[in-house]
Amino acid sequence: MQIQYKKKRNLLQNLLLIEMAQGMWLTLRRLFTKPITLQYPHEMPKVQRGFRGQHALVRDPETSTTKCIGCMKCAMVCPSRCIRIRIHKEPGHGNRRFIDEYHIDALRCVYCGYCAEVCPVNAIILTEVFAYSAKTRQELNFDMPQLLGNWDSYLAGQGELLKEYANPTWRPRGLPEGPMPVGKRLPVSDEWKGKDQVVGRLWRQSVQEQNR
Amino acid sequence: MQVLLLLFYIVILFTVVMLHVAYATYFERKIIGHMQVRMGPMEVGWHGLLQPIADGIKSFFKEDIIPENADALGFRLAPVVSLTAMVGALAVLPFAPGWVLADIDIGLLFIFAMSGLASYGVILAGWASNSKYSFLGGLRSMAQVISYEIAMGLSLVGVMLLSGSLNLSTIVEAQGGSFGGMYIFPQIIAFGVFFVAMLAETNRVPFDLPEAETELVSGYSTEYSGMRYAIFFMAEYVGMMVMSALGAICFFGGWSGPFAVPLFPALWLVLKIYAFMFVFIWIRATMPRYRYDQLMELGWKWLIPLALANIVITAVCKALF
Amino acid sequence: MNEPIRQTMEVPVATGDEERYRLRMGPQHPATHGVLRVELELDGETIVVCDPQVGYLHRGIEKLAENRTYAQTLVLTDRLDYIAAMANNCGFCVAVEKLLAINPPLRARYIRTIVSEMSRLSSHLLWLATHALDIGAMTVFLYCFREREILLELFEELCGARLTFSYTRIGGVRQDVTASFIDGLQRFVDIFPDKILEYETLIDTNRIWLKRTVGVGVVSREQALSLGLSGACLRASGVDYDIRKHQPYDAYGLVDFEVPIAQEGDSYARYRCRMEEMRQSVRILQQCIDQLPPGPIVSDDAPDLHMSQRIIPFREARVSGFGTALIALSHKTKPTYPAGDIYVATEVPKGELGFYIISDGSPRAYRMHIRSPSFIHISALKALSEGALVADLITNIGSVDVVLGESDR
Repeated sequence: MQIQYKKKRNLLQNLLLIEMAQGMWLTLRRLFTKPITLQYPHEMPKVQRGFRGQHALVRDPETSTTKCIGCMKCAMVCPSRCIRIRIHKEPGHGNRRFIDEYHIDALRCVYCGYCAEVCPVNAIILTEVFAYSAKTRQELNFDMPQLLGNWDSYLAGQGELLKEYANPTWRPRGLPEGPMPVGKRLPVSDEWKGKDQVVGRLWRQSVQEQNR
Repeated sequence: MQVLLLLFYIVILFTVVMLHVAYATYFERKIIGHMQVRMGPMEVGWHGLLQPIADGIKSFFKEDIIPENADALGFRLAPVVSLTAMVGALAVLPFAPGWVLADIDIGLLFIFAMSGLASYGVILAGWASNSKYSFLGGLRSMAQVISYEIAMGLSLVGVMLLSGSLNLSTIVEAQGGSFGGMYIFPQIIAFGVFFVAMLAETNRVPFDLPEAETELVSGYSTEYSGMRYAIFFMAEYVGMMVMSALGAICFFGGWSGPFAVPLFPALWLVLKIYAFMFVFIWIRATMPRYRYDQLMELGWKWLIPLALANIVITAVCKALF
Repeated sequence: MNEPIRQTMEVPVATGDEERYRLRMGPQHPATHGVLRVELELDGETIVVCDPQVGYLHRGIEKLAENRTYAQTLVLTDRLDYIAAMANNCGFCVAVEKLLAINPPLRARYIRTIVSEMSRLSSHLLWLATHALDIGAMTVFLYCFREREILLELFEELCGARLTFSYTRIGGVRQDVTASFIDGLQRFVDIFPDKILEYETLIDTNRIWLKRTVGVGVVSREQALSLGLSGACLRASGVDYDIRKHQPYDAYGLVDFEVPIAQEGDSYARYRCRMEEMRQSVRILQQCIDQLPPGPIVSDDAPDLHMSQRIIPFREARVSGFGTALIALSHKTKPTYPAGDIYVATEVPKGELGFYIISDGSPRAYRMHIRSPSFIHISALKALSEGALVADLITNIGSVDVVLGESDR
C-alpha cells in the first residue's frame, strides 16, 4: 500500500498558517480538559491482582510457618538464580525436608513469576506490593522471617482477604485443572479455570451458522 | 531627593518585575502542563503556588560550581551581563502616562541596544564555559541575534514613521488617532515580522536553538547551575516581558484601553503583556523547533524583505495621505 | 600547591582548507535514546565524520542464553527491546517452537498476535513521542504517553507486569485473556484512531515539522537493502518487505492488513510509514478481537518450565506423589530435544528480529545469536548523517528508532 506522503497545501493555507492554527487550537482545547495525572504518593494506582511485585512466603495458618516443602523447584527454575534454600532431614521423619534457610535476593530477581508457577504447594508468591526499598543491600536479600513478614503485611493490607486466595501466578488463568497437582487446584472462577472462555464475535457467529 | 525617589521607583519596579518573573515560570509550567493533559507543579503550597519561591531558594543555596577549565571571569560575568542589560531595558518602558523611569527620546533604540547587549552574555557564557555544547549554543545565539535584530528593527520602522518618534510614550499617544487606537491594523505585516523576530530574540520555541535541549544538551547554559543558572533564567523571562511590553506598546496601544482605570492606569498594558506571555507559552506547547540554517533562511529571505516592503508601503501611504 | 593543569578546549585543527573539531555526543546526551555514543567530526555544524559507538548497555544476553534453558532465556528476551518486550517474547517463542517442532494452538496464536500488535503500538507511540520531542514538539510526547499508559495497564491486567512481561511460553501463552481485558482492548481500539489524528494535527502538516524531516536522512532503495535495514526504515525506501505478510507466523496469515510503503526514504517517509502502521495495527487488533477462537492456550507438546534433560511423563509424576509435581504441561514423553540449528525472524516494531539458535540436543541453546534491528539501524546512522547538520543527526537517530538494549544486548 503506497502511503500518502505529503498533504498538499493551497496558497490560502500557506499564507494563513492554517495547520499551525489547527495545532494551536488543539492545545488550547486541551488546556481546558481534565488532566490525566495521578498524584502518585497521594493517590495510589490500582494494581491488578497478579501483579508481580514483592516476594512473600505464604504463612500456613495451621502451622504458622511456611508451606515450603523444600522441593527446590523454584531455585532450579529461577532464571536469575536468586533463590537459595538449605534443607536437612531428620531421623524419624522419613523423607520430610526441614527448611534451614530460604533466601530470595530481591536485587537479583527479575520478577518473572516462574517460582510461584512451579511451586507445587503455593508456598511462594509475588505480591502486588510494588514500592519497597531499603537502605542496605542486605535488607533486600530477604530471609525466611522477612518473607513470612512480607506475607503478613500483605495480608494485613488486603483487609478481608478471601480464605481461598488465588494468585494468577500460582495457577495461570486458562490452564486445565486436570494435570495440576492437588495444591494448585484452587477454587477459582470458571473463566479462570478455562471453562468459560471469552470468544470473538465473528467466531461465535460462524459457529452458530455451522450449527444451523 | 529626586535621586532617592528615583531609587525608590527602581526598587519597586525591580521587585515587581522579579515577582512577575518568578510567577511567569509558574504559569508557564501550569499552562503547558494543562495543555499536555498533566498538572504542572502541585506539591509546594496550594496547587504548587509556592513552587517559584522554593525554586528560588533552592537555586540560591545550591553549590556554586565553576568548571575547572572554564574562564572564571567570563563565566561569572556572563549571567550578570544578560540580566543587567535586560533589566536596564525596563527603565524606558512607559507603563502609564508618566509611569516611566527614564522618558528618553531614543527609547526604542535603547531597548534594541539592551537586548543586543543581553546576547553578549549568552555568547560570553558559551565561550567561557569551555564546553563544546555551550560554544555551539553561543555561536548559534550570535548568528540568531544578528539576523533577527535587523528584522525586528526594520519591522518597527513602520511604527516610527507613523508616530514620528522613537519615544515610547509618544508612540503610545500617537496611536490614539489611528483605527482602533492600535497600530496593529495599519501595520499588520510589521507586526507579523515583529512577532516572529520577538520569538527569536528571546530564544523561545520554535527558535530556541541556542539552548536546544535535545541537540546541545542545554546550549550556552550547559555548564551553569545554581544561582548563575537562575540569573540566566531571570534574564530570559525579563527579556520576554520587555519584548511583550514593546509589542504591546508599539502595536496594541500601550496603556490605552476601552476605559480608564482609576488608581492603576497601567492595568491595560499589564493585561496586554500577560496576553503576549500566554501566546509565548502557547506556542511553546505546540511547535517543533527550526533547524539552524532554516532559521537563518526565514530571517534573511522572508522577514527582512517583508519588513523592507512594509517600510516602503508605509512611507508611500504616509506621503500620499 | 599544585596549580591545576588548565586544559583549553580542543583548538580547531586546520586540516586542509577547513577547520574541524570533534564532538563526542553521548552516552549521557538527552537525545541519544539511552546510551548511544556518537563521535562526530564537525566543520562548523556540518557533520564530516559520524562514528556511532555501541556497547554501553552490553549485558551478554547471547552468552547468558548458553547456560539457561529456553524457558529461562525467554525472560532475557524481555530485556532486549524493553519498549516492545511482548514482540521479543513472541519472536523467541516462535523460534524455539520451530526448533522443537511444537505447534501452538490457534487461540494462543491469536493472543500472541494481539499482544504483538499491542506492543507494536506501544513501541511506535514511544518512538513518536521521543522523535517529536527531539525535534522540539513537546506536547506530542505527553499525548503519546497518555495512550501508551492504557496499553501498559492492559498488559498489567493480562500478565502482571508493565514492562518485562515474560508472557509467552514455549508452545503457547502463560495466561488466558479475560473478558475485561478484551473489553478494555476494544475500548482502546475504538478511541485510538482519533488519537492518531490528534498527533497528526500537531505535527503532520506543520511546516516546521516538514522542514525538519522532509529530505533529511534520505536512504535510497539500493542503499537501504545494502545497509540491511528492515522494518519501517526499509519500507519507507520503497521495498515491500514485511515478515508478517511474507512469512506469516502466529495468526498474521489469518488476518487482513496492508503494508504501508513510501518511496522517498527520508525521515518524513519513515514517520508516515509508522503512523500508517499504527492504523494497520489497530485493524489487526480489531480482527483478532472479533475472530478470537476458543480452545487451549498451551500446546500439549509444550515442555514444562523446568525443561529438564529427561522429561518425566505426567502419569509417572502422579504415581510418585510430588516427584515432579508442577504445572505439568507435557503429556508426552520427549526424551531429548532436537539438535540442529535454526534461524527464525519475526517482525518486531523496530524491524526484523531474528534468533539464530544452535541446539546440541540439550534444553539449552549451544549458541544463540540475535539479529537485532537496532544494531543494524545504528550502523546506518553513518550513511544517513554524514554531510548533514547536528540537528539532522538528532532527527535521524529519532527516525530510525533505535533501542540500545536491543543493539548492545
